[in-house]
Amino acid sequence: MKPKISDDLSRRIFLRGAMGVSLFATSGCEKIEDFLGMEPQEGPVVPPSGEGVDLVSHVLNRLTFGPDPSEYARVKGLGVDDESAVAFFLEEQLSPNEIEDKRTQRAVRRLEAIHAPLGELYEYKEDHLLEQLTRATLIRATRSRRQLFEVMVHFWSDHFNIDISKKECRWLKVADDREVVRKHAMGNFSALLKASALSPAMLWYLDGRENRKSGESEKPNENYARELLELHTLGVGGGYTQKDVMEVARCLSGWTVRGKDRFFKGKVEFHADAHDDGAKVVLGNEIASGGGRKDLDDILEIVGMHPSTARFLGRKLCIRFISDDPSEASIKKVAGTFLSSNGNIKETLRAVFATQEFLQGPRAQKLKRPFEFIVSALRGVRARVSSEMDVVDYLIRMGHAPFQYPTPDGYPDIASPWTGTLLWRWHFAIALARNEVSKNIKVEEEVLIEKAGGVDGLAASLLGRNPSVEEKAAIERSGEPLALLMASPGFQWK
Amino acid sequence: MKDTGIISGNGDEQATLVVVFLRGGADGLTLVPPVGNSDYYKVRPTLAVAEKDILKLGDANCGLNPAFSGLLNIYKEGGLTVAPGVGSSDKTRSHFYAQDLMEHGGQLAGGWLGRFLRYREGRPPSALSAVALGKAMPEVLRGAPAATVMESLETFSLGSGSGPTESLQTELGALYGAKENILGPVARDTLQALGRVERLRREDLPPENGAEYRDDSFSNGLRQTARLIKARVGLEAVSIDLNGWDSHIAQSSLISPLMTLLSEGLAAFHRDLGELMNAVTVVVMTEFGRRVAENSSFGTDHGRGGSMFVMGGSERGNVLGEMPVIETGILVGPGDVPVVTDYRDLLSPILIRHGAGRAMDKIFPEN
Repeated sequence: MKPKISDDLSRRIFLRGAMGVSLFATSGCEKIEDFLGMEPQEGPVVPPSGEGVDLVSHVLNRLTFGPDPSEYARVKGLGVDDESAVAFFLEEQLSPNEIEDKRTQRAVRRLEAIHAPLGELYEYKEDHLLEQLTRATLIRATRSRRQLFEVMVHFWSDHFNIDISKKECRWLKVADDREVVRKHAMGNFSALLKASALSPAMLWYLDGRENRKSGESEKPNENYARELLELHTLGVGGGYTQKDVMEVARCLSGWTVRGKDRFFKGKVEFHADAHDDGAKVVLGNEIASGGGRKDLDDILEIVGMHPSTARFLGRKLCIRFISDDPSEASIKKVAGTFLSSNGNIKETLRAVFATQEFLQGPRAQKLKRPFEFIVSALRGVRARVSSEMDVVDYLIRMGHAPFQYPTPDGYPDIASPWTGTLLWRWHFAIALARNEVSKNIKVEEEVLIEKAGGVDGLAASLLGRNPSVEEKAAIERSGEPLALLMASPGFQWK
Repeated sequence: MKDTGIISGNGDEQATLVVVFLRGGADGLTLVPPVGNSDYYKVRPTLAVAEKDILKLGDANCGLNPAFSGLLNIYKEGGLTVAPGVGSSDKTRSHFYAQDLMEHGGQLAGGWLGRFLRYREGRPPSALSAVALGKAMPEVLRGAPAATVMESLETFSLGSGSGPTESLQTELGALYGAKENILGPVARDTLQALGRVERLRREDLPPENGAEYRDDSFSNGLRQTARLIKARVGLEAVSIDLNGWDSHIAQSSLISPLMTLLSEGLAAFHRDLGELMNAVTVVVMTEFGRRVAENSSFGTDHGRGGSMFVMGGSERGNVLGEMPVIETGILVGPGDVPVVTDYRDLLSPILIRHGAGRAMDKIFPEN
């Protein structure tokens, strides 16, 4: 479904961006920005009107953190029919750098700690860094127009999970987020993999920094090597053995990172004297002795583009975007594109969205994880948020605070582990609708209803389809449309 | 579990694990003093518990502080395990690091109780699977799939008590009931749990079996826990803190009242729950024990091995291991009780009993 974009259309998008810029260029910025609050874009609200979730709503549900009220109409207007509108939207989202997003960038720029160079990160208190990074993550997910990019950042943050509370990750995860995950989220997988392998935070998190082999008695630390194969590339059952794990560990021995008690803290370096420089065999590939630091590149080349890696990643992407139990055919297709495009993430994503299963399979049947639920609610009701931290408490209660997953496998991406969060979803829905999350988060239910052309319109805008007879009746009887809608089953799924 | 036949229904198959954390580093040698050890009296001239006052535990080489008289009967009936010389590998003797280490279950991120709830076998956690009594989420529960922090049942309701939610609850029940998907049964359980908590609050039934709770926040926490267990809301894990054990100066006057709070709270809880204790385990832990030798301010400094307790229907009523002999030769670091039992070895069989199954290597991966 790769669409041809006419020059006209490209220009239209460009102009739209340019207009956004000029609005701010002339407006003395900060005050106006505060006044505008959180709305990603202001535009007419024309809610969906189908009985079921149509293609446009489906794509918005899966490729973004949930639509803002005017987003449905905007995307619908991009093409002559739903298919072309969606194709155009996809192309737009696949080129995030061309999407004007100044307001998000400006809002994030104020969080100065997360922009500090590696060595300077240690000058900040750990709690402050976590707070700023969490705020930035929430701001970007809620406000950014580069929604698919942010969704992919979220995806890779789980795939290359690092719990920020482990040792010096407290400082270094900020750099990992910036220079590994965000830098390569829509780039090339091999580059992403290498950046992660040499990420100071990852060297701490999976003990790579302890992996040394200086003498006969010293055994390499296998932690990173194992997770590299099991979680980052081939996947369990991907055809590697314990021997492969040990050989990979040998290849990576000697890479370390300077701790905070030393000069050049956080600096990654290779210690040839701590490297096992003998010959190795990894997954049947011989790695000659004397390779030194080049062993790392050899290893990543072998595992990064391995067919098992393609399959493992293909499956994870299908689970992310299609269903908890994607078909073999979809996985194969995506894995094939991953390999043929040499790990090009954009091309691989195109393949996901081109599968029959994505286009015609079940809709509204992926459970929003707590983070997605909360962000989709904030977006869906155009909440004015002046303190993002006020929703973090809810994320902690639901076990989904960013950068706080305990084990290297990252937050699960299927429904069953999250069902226990229902009570807290209800808590949040009610508190948000009643303006009781905190004084820093404001929702105007009356305005929302008015703009959506009535309560049914509000329901359609939040659910991506017309409310059912039962839903209409329940909304009316409850007396609190917004609270009920956000707490209702229809809003838990995407 | 000896008997789970007495419980049935919503969340009733759930055993409940209550973790009591004594923050500040409780002095193991005062909680569980050594018996027949003359060195103890040499290094603790003012703080040692007199031999005649120690509550003896059979032939064990340690006993209970007289403040724990309320627990002695439970021990004799076989419902209490006393564990001296328990601790972690922490050598920093820093409260912050030692607590984190113990709550995380090693050099890990996220708490072991949270991992237990996430990875244990059986059905997914429900609305009220995990409760922290207090103001904030403790580290031990971090990473749990769903956890509720409440100061008391009185502050717990849907909508945080900001206004009635009955009609919302009714309509949610109808909408979730109408859809055949994974959330339907969860919604039903959640609404039932809310209803049960609501009824509990309204009825405010008195404790049973003649149990009398003191009026302090620790005992209140245990009382709320007992109410939730009786209400069968599916409670699996509870965390309660008892703070203030950092006794660098004037140790006796500082921790004697705390020991009384601990003892009377636990005894009332045990009595209140009666037979239900068969499915309940209470673990009392602390980040480290204290220096063997007292300091010049009639206090003790941060040490290593401490004393812990396990109370519950499945306990055998014994002393786990032995009190390490207090001789200079075996003391560690600047003169601390060695750790003879890793706290994870104390916890592991309990977690397995509570359904951890094959998840143990995820809960304590370093052990």
